[in-house]
Amino acid sequence: MNARMLQSRCAVFALVLGAAISGAVAQEHEVPAPLAARPATPRPLGAIGRALAAAPDGAVVEIGPGVYHEHLRITRPVTLVGVGMPVIDGGGSGDIVEIAAPEVTLRGFVIRNTGIDLDKENAAVRVLASRATIEDCVLEDILFGIDLRDAPDSVVRSNRIGGKRLDVARRGDGLRLWRADRTLVEGNTIHDGRDAILWYSKGVVVRGNVSHNCRYGLHLMYSDEVTIEGNRLERNSVGVYLMYSAGVELRRNLLVNNRGPSGYGIGLKETDRFVITDNVLSGNRVGVYIDGSPFTNKMPGMFRRNTLACNDIGVTFLPSARNNEFVDNNFIDNIEQVSVAGRGNLSANRFWVGERGNYWSDYTGYDQNRDGIGDFVHESQTLFENMMDREPKLRLFLFSPAQQAVEFVGRAVPSVRPEPKFVDEVPLMRPAEVGLNVRPERGALVRLGGVGAALLLVGGLVLGLARTPRDGQPANGGVA
Amino acid sequence: MIRIDSVTKRFGRATAVDNVSLDIPAGDSVALWGVNGAGKTTLIRCVLGLYRFSGRIEVGGHDVGRRGKRARALIGYVPQELGFHDELGVAEAVRYFALLRGLRVRSAESVLDDVGLAGHGGKRVRELSGGMKQRLALAIAMLGNPPVLVLDEVTASLDACGRGEFVGLLSRLSGAGRTILFASHRIEEVTTLARRVVVLEAGRIGAQTDSETFAESLGLHSMLHLTIRESTRRLALEHLCASGFAARMNGVGLLVPVAREQKAAPFRVLAEARIAIDDFELIAADAAGAPAHTQEAQP
Amino acid sequence: MTAHAASTARALDTRPARPPAMPANVLTIALRELRDAVRSRWFLLYTLAFAALGLGVSYVSALGSGGAGLSGFGRTTAGLVNLVLLVVPLMALTAGAGSIASDRERGILAYLLAQPVSRFEVLLGKYFGLAGALLACLCLGVGACALVLALKGEATRPAAMLWLVGLAFGLSLGMLSLGMLVSVLARRASVAVGTAIFLWLALVFVSDLGLMAGALAFRLRIETLFALATANPLQVFKFWSLHSADATLDVLGPAGLYAVDTFGDHVVWLFTSVLAAWAVVPLAIAAVIFSRRAPV
Repeated sequence: MNARMLQSRCAVFALVLGAAISGAVAQEHEVPAPLAARPATPRPLGAIGRALAAAPDGAVVEIGPGVYHEHLRITRPVTLVGVGMPVIDGGGSGDIVEIAAPEVTLRGFVIRNTGIDLDKENAAVRVLASRATIEDCVLEDILFGIDLRDAPDSVVRSNRIGGKRLDVARRGDGLRLWRADRTLVEGNTIHDGRDAILWYSKGVVVRGNVSHNCRYGLHLMYSDEVTIEGNRLERNSVGVYLMYSAGVELRRNLLVNNRGPSGYGIGLKETDRFVITDNVLSGNRVGVYIDGSPFTNKMPGMFRRNTLACNDIGVTFLPSARNNEFVDNNFIDNIEQVSVAGRGNLSANRFWVGERGNYWSDYTGYDQNRDGIGDFVHESQTLFENMMDREPKLRLFLFSPAQQAVEFVGRAVPSVRPEPKFVDEVPLMRPAEVGLNVRPERGALVRLGGVGAALLLVGGLVLGLARTPRDGQPANGGVA
Repeated sequence: MIRIDSVTKRFGRATAVDNVSLDIPAGDSVALWGVNGAGKTTLIRCVLGLYRFSGRIEVGGHDVGRRGKRARALIGYVPQELGFHDELGVAEAVRYFALLRGLRVRSAESVLDDVGLAGHGGKRVRELSGGMKQRLALAIAMLGNPPVLVLDEVTASLDACGRGEFVGLLSRLSGAGRTILFASHRIEEVTTLARRVVVLEAGRIGAQTDSETFAESLGLHSMLHLTIRESTRRLALEHLCASGFAARMNGVGLLVPVAREQKAAPFRVLAEARIAIDDFELIAADAAGAPAHTQEAQP
Repeated sequence: MTAHAASTARALDTRPARPPAMPANVLTIALRELRDAVRSRWFLLYTLAFAALGLGVSYVSALGSGGAGLSGFGRTTAGLVNLVLLVVPLMALTAGAGSIASDRERGILAYLLAQPVSRFEVLLGKYFGLAGALLACLCLGVGACALVLALKGEATRPAAMLWLVGLAFGLSLGMLSLGMLVSVLARRASVAVGTAIFLWLALVFVSDLGLMAGALAFRLRIETLFALATANPLQVFKFWSLHSADATLDVLGPAGLYAVDTFGDHVVWLFTSVLAAWAVVPLAIAAVIFSRRAPV
């Protein structure tokens, strides 16, 4: 913060404390005609507003620490820098910062306490012009966080956006891009919001962000050629939901524990030309949910080197899903590795190409010639899964010995054995090398070991209680 | 000390104990006498509160039905056969039952020593002989020196030698002033331990006498059990019947009711017939002449 | 050797005015029962079987995960839950069923009840003693599994293991209670154990398979299905295990979502009350019957 402050060209240094400038006359703020779409009620300018009004185009306006109760509208290309994280408090009403000029930079503020009017979409930062940069800000207790409207070539970087703790239905989007092509979204943390959503935005790069406790960690609507890389999306209802988009690359993302009614790590709805590689999907209700994707025949849906572990269902296909290709993925300990919603099989999708298949932790075959590929095909055909796909209510009986009994019958009695859902002719014997690995932290293992030892100790103590007391020699001979 | 007041116990339709009333003052010792099925054991189990019954039993003023725990705290009980976990250690058993009585045993060995089980504390119960088990039961019954001792055919599973020894031990340990209620059908136990005899017949009290009178009355008729090899058993029976004895077959031998002064007469008859007798036993019978325990196998 | 009675008395503390209070007797009997149980063959057998199977499950799933180190309600926990569902009810039911009936058969019970103890104390003492033995068995089995998993680098959550032990113990209390009811009712130990095994089959397989058939054939409504399944303590154990792992039951499909929507976090209270009812009600009935029945 200091370094940046010193480097700044420092055209105007206005160390302002709201009450310090007592003689300032409240100025009516003039709304430029093209931006009059939202005729906000004119408010008296606050300290920051006055500093902005005084600054020329291209100026760097620095604001010192303090709490500023005001609503800003930036109408000239300036760089507004908070020194020592000054707080702009919206007082629980309306938007807080509106950027109405191109090439505005907003950096280093705490912006908090917007209104909660969903219809007016009260936002902490609303950008209405191109090439905006919003970075190092902390947005707290806000309905919408950063709302980019027709703001291409912008940068949203290293912000922390925390929504109001409202019912999901009453929340706003932590981040929204509306026709903001080529925007970079990087290193932000978004939590307790509705979605981080891209509308009609091409060529956006979303990299290294963290999202948790939102509805959709990242949501693409009609947004093409988007790269989503190295993000961590956890405990959302859906990690990444791609809808009606094309040309999306998802790489090295960590999608963990996304649960709830949808509960997908990655959801794909009528999305085309997508490449999904080196992601880790773990503990989600459904790892990947595929509905009508890929949408055209231009290119198969590519799934490479992903780890799908410990999800309730690894991949769910809707019957409309075809032409997907799974190679070198690791399917580990998903309760149901692959499911088909409703009836049907997956013959239109491929689980092996050429000599490469996937790793299946439930593969029961072996590898006699030691070429790393199982000697038998991997067929998924368990009676209980088949029944569950037909009657989802039966999931209630998962993990019970009764389920095992059904599976046993399915194996033993060929007449009730279901058709295989899919076949992997060249299953891998060992998990494939993937680009993103999650190692258990040592601490967790030590704790687990500790718990194990403690349990053994408790068991031992109970056994100790049961030890025969020794018939010791009477110390006094028991004689008076 | 023990007050039994119109106690009736039915099993289904069968009445095992029929309106029995009995008052045993402190220090008294009473033998319940009767054939198997006369209701001796049933009555004892009622006293211990093991059965529900109609009527009322009090031990030391505590109602057995409602305050059984307090009542049983006054009772030391020796059963016909000790029911223990076989794997239980002998000393461990002593400790366990002492704890149930709220006693802390400083040395199980000294308790065992009193009944001649010194050095057996480390053994498991199953390693003990029948006689030793009964002595262990006695040691446990005497824990805390209870004022009442209840004994249920304590020698039934012992051999003749063990019986004598055990009764001797009992009479020594029970000491003076203790109230004793016991079921028996052995005259030597009755004469050694009991001051009073209560005869039970089909669940009712038949007669009550002091033990000396009772023993004399018993002596009028005794039952002789002769062990005779199978090849000559029938022949022996014919000879005895021909000589006027009401003999009959029983297990591995014959049962012969004999008069008090003629206990040796059957031996003479059989000796004349050159029939060998392997063993004999004199069994007490009640005044009516019915054998007290016809089922008992020969020693 | 001359004054035996006197020396017997000397070896003892002075005689208390009243017999020990209930807690003391229950403790004495419980410890006795615990000692007998852990020395018995069934305990050794079950503990070994449980630990061995658990280790097998842990080892195999650690191999299968290839050290991906991802935790979740994976096959390890699922396998252990399945194992508990299979082994623990059988163990607890047969242990409970054997307790009173075999003692009665061997004459131990009559002798014990001739001591200054109440029947309730005996029943409760046996219950606690056996519960202690079961707890030891569970701790040893699951503890061994946790150690193996930690050594294999499998990041199963430590809390999941504790929950597993706790919930399995809750389940075993219910099954023990049911077993003791059987034991009090049965005339013979063999009948009691046979009945216990029958009940085990009914709870583990028959009821679930029946409900599955019902769901398929009669299109049982979700709430009916959930209610019926929740009556079974084994299912409750399973639900709760899932809930403790994820704080959600949506893994159980529509019926699980129904439970989440209807009960929210209160579902834990529902589970608690079902398990508690299974632990208390059969034991209470057993106590009433036991107090009326002759112990011989």
